[in-house]
Amino acid sequence: MSRLRMVRRLRSADGGWRICAWFMAAMILFGNTPAAQAMSGREVYEKVHEVRTKALDRQTEATMTLFDRGGGTRTRTLVEYSKKGEGETYKVLVVFQTPPDLKDVGFLVHARSFADRDLWAYFPEFKRIRRIPTTSQDDSFFGTDFSYDDFGGPPNLDDYRFTILREETVDGMACQVIEVEPKVRRKWSRYVAWVAKDLWVHIKIEYYQDKQLYRQGVFSDVRIIDDIPTPFKAMMENVKTGHRTGLTIEEIRYHTRFDDELFTQRSLERAGK
Amino acid sequence: MNLANLLRHVSFKHVRLQKTQLAMAMAGICLGVAAMVAIDLANRSVLRSFEDSINHVTGRAALTITGTDAGFPEAMLERVQNVPGVEYAVPVIEATASLTGGRQRPLMILGIDVLQDHQIRDYSITDESADIPDPLLFLARRDSILLTKAMAAQEGIGIDEKIRVQTVAGLRTFQVRGLLNPSGPARVAGGDIAIMDVYAAQMAFGKEGRIDRIDVSLLPGETLDAVRERIRQVLPGGYSIDTPATRTKQVELLLGRFRKSMGFISCMALFVGMYLIYNTVSIAVVQRRKEIGILRALGAGRGDICRLFLAETLLVAAVASLVGAGLGYLFAGATVGLVAQNVTDMYLRTSVTELSVSWQAMLGNAAVGVLASLAAAALPALAGARITPASAIRSLPYAEESVLLGKKMRNAATFCLLAGLLILALFASAEPGSSVRSLGVILAAAIFLLLGISLCTPLLLRRIVPLCHGALAACFGAQGRLAGLNLQKNVSRNGVAVAAIVCSIALFVSSANAINSVRQSMFDWIDTIIRADILVSTGHPLATGGSPTIPMPPEMRQELAKVDGVKDVDVFRKTYLDYGGRKVLLEMFDVALRLSYCPAMITEGSREDMLLLSGRDNIAVNEGFAVKHRIKRGDTIMLPTPAGPAPFTVTAILVSYSADSGVISMDIDTYRRHWQDQLIDTYEVLVQPGRDIEAVRTAILARFSSERRLFALPAAEFKAEVQKVLDRSFVLTNAVNIITLVIAGLGIIITLLSSVLERTREIGILRGIGMQKNQVSAVVIIESALIGAAGGLLGIMSGVLIGWIELEGIFRLDFGESVVYHMHYGAMAWAMLLGVSPAALAGLYPARRAAATNIVEALTYE
Repeated sequence: MSRLRMVRRLRSADGGWRICAWFMAAMILFGNTPAAQAMSGREVYEKVHEVRTKALDRQTEATMTLFDRGGGTRTRTLVEYSKKGEGETYKVLVVFQTPPDLKDVGFLVHARSFADRDLWAYFPEFKRIRRIPTTSQDDSFFGTDFSYDDFGGPPNLDDYRFTILREETVDGMACQVIEVEPKVRRKWSRYVAWVAKDLWVHIKIEYYQDKQLYRQGVFSDVRIIDDIPTPFKAMMENVKTGHRTGLTIEEIRYHTRFDDELFTQRSLERAGK
Repeated sequence: MNLANLLRHVSFKHVRLQKTQLAMAMAGICLGVAAMVAIDLANRSVLRSFEDSINHVTGRAALTITGTDAGFPEAMLERVQNVPGVEYAVPVIEATASLTGGRQRPLMILGIDVLQDHQIRDYSITDESADIPDPLLFLARRDSILLTKAMAAQEGIGIDEKIRVQTVAGLRTFQVRGLLNPSGPARVAGGDIAIMDVYAAQMAFGKEGRIDRIDVSLLPGETLDAVRERIRQVLPGGYSIDTPATRTKQVELLLGRFRKSMGFISCMALFVGMYLIYNTVSIAVVQRRKEIGILRALGAGRGDICRLFLAETLLVAAVASLVGAGLGYLFAGATVGLVAQNVTDMYLRTSVTELSVSWQAMLGNAAVGVLASLAAAALPALAGARITPASAIRSLPYAEESVLLGKKMRNAATFCLLAGLLILALFASAEPGSSVRSLGVILAAAIFLLLGISLCTPLLLRRIVPLCHGALAACFGAQGRLAGLNLQKNVSRNGVAVAAIVCSIALFVSSANAINSVRQSMFDWIDTIIRADILVSTGHPLATGGSPTIPMPPEMRQELAKVDGVKDVDVFRKTYLDYGGRKVLLEMFDVALRLSYCPAMITEGSREDMLLLSGRDNIAVNEGFAVKHRIKRGDTIMLPTPAGPAPFTVTAILVSYSADSGVISMDIDTYRRHWQDQLIDTYEVLVQPGRDIEAVRTAILARFSSERRLFALPAAEFKAEVQKVLDRSFVLTNAVNIITLVIAGLGIIITLLSSVLERTREIGILRGIGMQKNQVSAVVIIESALIGAAGGLLGIMSGVLIGWIELEGIFRLDFGESVVYHMHYGAMAWAMLLGVSPAALAGLYPARRAAATNIVEALTYE
């Protein structure tokens, strides 16, 4: 399959990946990659990790839509800035632009490593920066169906066990189906991810609490931007509440190399200005 | 002889023959147990409701840190969060508010750190615990509020709708961002709760930079005591670091007097029920004395006879007690709302949505009923066992053998009376605050005295009734004389019926007198302290928890003073603080201004001593607090302030009935200086002489109508409200009194029925020599009324004494010596009427049976 055909197919595919990977995709489109079957689950995720790490320097403008159970929708726009630092360090700043009620509400991440990070939120009406406990990483990201972790960057692979379950085709894309179990306490007991072969991005993901599915996501409209596969659409659903959140990228730029000043608490208070 | 055989062959025959008497005896025990179970369950449910509320509100917190009601600086939060061993420490604000629309529903506001709170409480605004369409909007806007689904449905409020809520800053508009499912904190206060983000709540309720509580969870492996100690070290003194269980205990202590008085009256109901059992077994012994003689002649020992009667009592009491427990459950269901209302009126806001049924407690109360019945049956059962076969077969009148008129009984009566008086003397002479001055001691005195009076009743009847024959004959003719003679003939058995009436009337009179004393003392006190013309607050000025009293800003004082017709404005602020493990009421006012228009009720010290409170670290305490903590004028005590414990000198002891657990009065400036709290609960407005109070009141309401919803109550109206609340608080007491009267009435019916049965032949002769049916009926009814009158008179006398004891043991221990004993003469007249009328009514059925006696059958009756 030629690279061009692959990209076309990806664009038309109704696939996707987890929102972090969506922000941090990498281009890995070799004609003759080793057979995925020969790889272990950990090795597959090392590839995913590599793609996500590559995508850590960027600016994204996106639209987020919340769908409630009754069919009602609420739309908001946001800008996300991120910067890769030394080693495993990185910084992320998210600022909401609309609606007016949420203008300049912000969210800041300082990661000292993939396993250790600080999170803060800022609400202009209260003029107060609030710390979000790291134990909240699996909680809802400001009431959406994404979690803080979904916006937090690549995970520390040593904190998980990976098992390849099978291979499956999702929307015409060949995927490795991998079960991921945390070694530390998390809100979920495991997740099952469909990782697109050769792209190393999530196309679909299902989170389980014990044996019960509670959250699932679908990632689609994968485009290659600056050699990084980037799903432009994501839809996450809380199965228990029936609430869904859609995320659509309007514009994305990689390799932005922002100044560190953009990622300070002062900058958070000023909405990145 | 086998007890089971005796029960099967002897006792069951009597059950069949004396169904009516047995049913009434059972009804007596049943009602007594029902009263106990109902009060116990209702009290338990109210406490459980508090416990549930505390647990729902504190969630998984192992420790809760509180200062005073006014809150403490939020900087303390970070100190606690950094303590080793602390897993999570989250801030909480608790406030009261009310909706301005509809029924102006009061609600509790829980301000929480929404981003962290789910670590402590079992809910999250983003999972299935709630229906919040946009949690980010909820967090980002200070007008965000969450209501419970139940409240929203009842008030017809939907998501995204705006509601007007009364807050410290006045009327504010909030937007309902979501609805909470009935779990976790959403179950508190019967669902009348709203949740806000803690920082939004700070702004809305005037607590910027302050929080009310920190809830703390511990890291695994950490011990409670170790972490508590570490937290204590990083906080200034004066903070309470409690477990949720300790908070429940504090509520228990707060409700102590209420529960004591309710327990006291329910015990009395059972006490009266014991007379019924005593009477029933006594009558059974009399009626079955021939059978006893035969059984004894056939070889049954005294022990067998005693065991037989006790076994019969056990069976009857067990059935009656179990039925009583069931009935009590139903009564509890009907009265728990009233109990909750009383607690809300007097102590803390509570909403009991369901009965807290404890089967162990219900069975325990039933067991008490059975044991009480066995104790009551023991004496007549022993008397029955002492009947010799010869005397039983000769059918000697029971009265002559009765132990009730014997020397031993006289001695027992004398012993009980002397013991009661001795205990009373000990109580009266004991130092205030000593262990002798306790409810247990005074209750023992009351029981000894009541027992003594009861045991004396047959002796008194034997002496008094012969003196009344002439008067009875003069009033009621032959029927009156016959009734008197019948009363005298069965003096011991009638004595028991009279004793039952004595107890029930004594209870009625004592309650009425104690209530009257409290009411009068309360009115005298309120007359003294309420000298302002208009009381202005955001909730009902009297409310302790029933309706929300949302504090008002201090600037309102100047605004009120500008209203046309206002002469001056005094302030009043109240809060609770921990002292000696109890929540003590701290009252603040402008001492200099207050003393210029209001005479203080000072028991120790002078007006000049009170003036020493102004702006200084001096306090006045009420009598109850001084006695409980053995504090004298001039003593210095340490009070917990937000900056740590501070010394305050007691310059005066005051009369105050504001709280059972103790009252401390302080100048408002002193309070503000130490507590950094400027808010005011009530403004007390003095109107210029000659100005119309109603016009000024209207002007005040008009001035603030756009800003906040105010209660502006004229003093007279306020006092009328006090009366209403007090009356409501005693409804249950009166209900139990009525139950005891019913039990006593059943006792009379049993006594008269057996008397009628015994006199079947005599009645037949009277009918045979020409006495009319109505005349026979009249004899029985007059006899019944005489029992009631004798019981009523003795009951009133006993009631006066027991009322004083009740006042000493329940009210004076908490409120101090200043509660004056005021007898309620109207109630005593009613008691006499209640003694005679139900007794006469109770005589109707036996009278009908007596009148219906067939002359021929009666003459052949043996």
